[in-house]
Amino acid sequence: MSRVDDLPRRTPAAAGTLPPARRLPPSLAGNPTLPYPAIGRELSALRLQIPGVHGCVLGGVDGLLITHNLQNEANPDDLAALAATMFGLGRQVGFRLGQGDFQQSTVRNENGYLSVYAVSRQALLAVVGTDSINVARLHLHAPDTAARLADLLDGVTPATP
Amino acid sequence: MGNLDVALKNAMSIDGAIGAALVDYTSGMTLGVAGGTGEIDLTVAAAGNTDVVRAKLRTIEMLKLDDEIEDILITLGSQYHLIRPLSNRTGKGLFLYLMVSKSRANLAMARHQLRAIEESLEL
Repeated sequence: MSRVDDLPRRTPAAAGTLPPARRLPPSLAGNPTLPYPAIGRELSALRLQIPGVHGCVLGGVDGLLITHNLQNEANPDDLAALAATMFGLGRQVGFRLGQGDFQQSTVRNENGYLSVYAVSRQALLAVVGTDSINVARLHLHAPDTAARLADLLDGVTPATP
Repeated sequence: MGNLDVALKNAMSIDGAIGAALVDYTSGMTLGVAGGTGEIDLTVAAAGNTDVVRAKLRTIEMLKLDDEIEDILITLGSQYHLIRPLSNRTGKGLFLYLMVSKSRANLAMARHQLRAIEESLEL
């Protein structure tokens, strides 16, 4: 877990020293070489498998939307950003408690759920569902979908920044 | 949760018991499991059978029967699966799930014992 050291710490910097510029991998969002039809099939399959799923959003850990199949009025760009926020919180918890990489985070509200699953180091899968959804089934199926999405995203040539 | 562990242990002491679980059918999550085998993942069984319970509850509602499920029996080739929703106030939204071997179990006795376990279960 050496990546703990990469995180910004709340320590005062010595005067006159600027931290080195952070080097991030190019965003997956907007990459035209991604296998979008295959990704779309995975997202649809998950929605069909579990009644009550409104749709899925595949987003980057940078908060940018890759693709989605939402069927309600929710804004996919907002959800991709929210997913990255939930990932950020989960990752911090993982680091601070020494519990390893982020896997899954679920928010349950009065009328529904938002679950975020880790797909790869760079991507997240967010699933929106109604309150009556069978969450246990979602938790059984979504990690498999995430693993297949990871395979689809793996080996894609990075977009030129 | 001592009471829950005792209840699941009692469920596993029923003749021919293979696995037992207490499941929340509003989410499909298990509150506790006992038994099970390498091939049988009780959390998968719980999530799947949540849909069974929900479907039956919805059917009762659609038929306007104004009644509740006492138990559900599913007969397989080699097993009986018993589903028993908890009827007391503290157990609202939960069901007991019991898998028993058809060849080793006495179904009437298993059902009777599961009722006794359900009645004694206070969460």
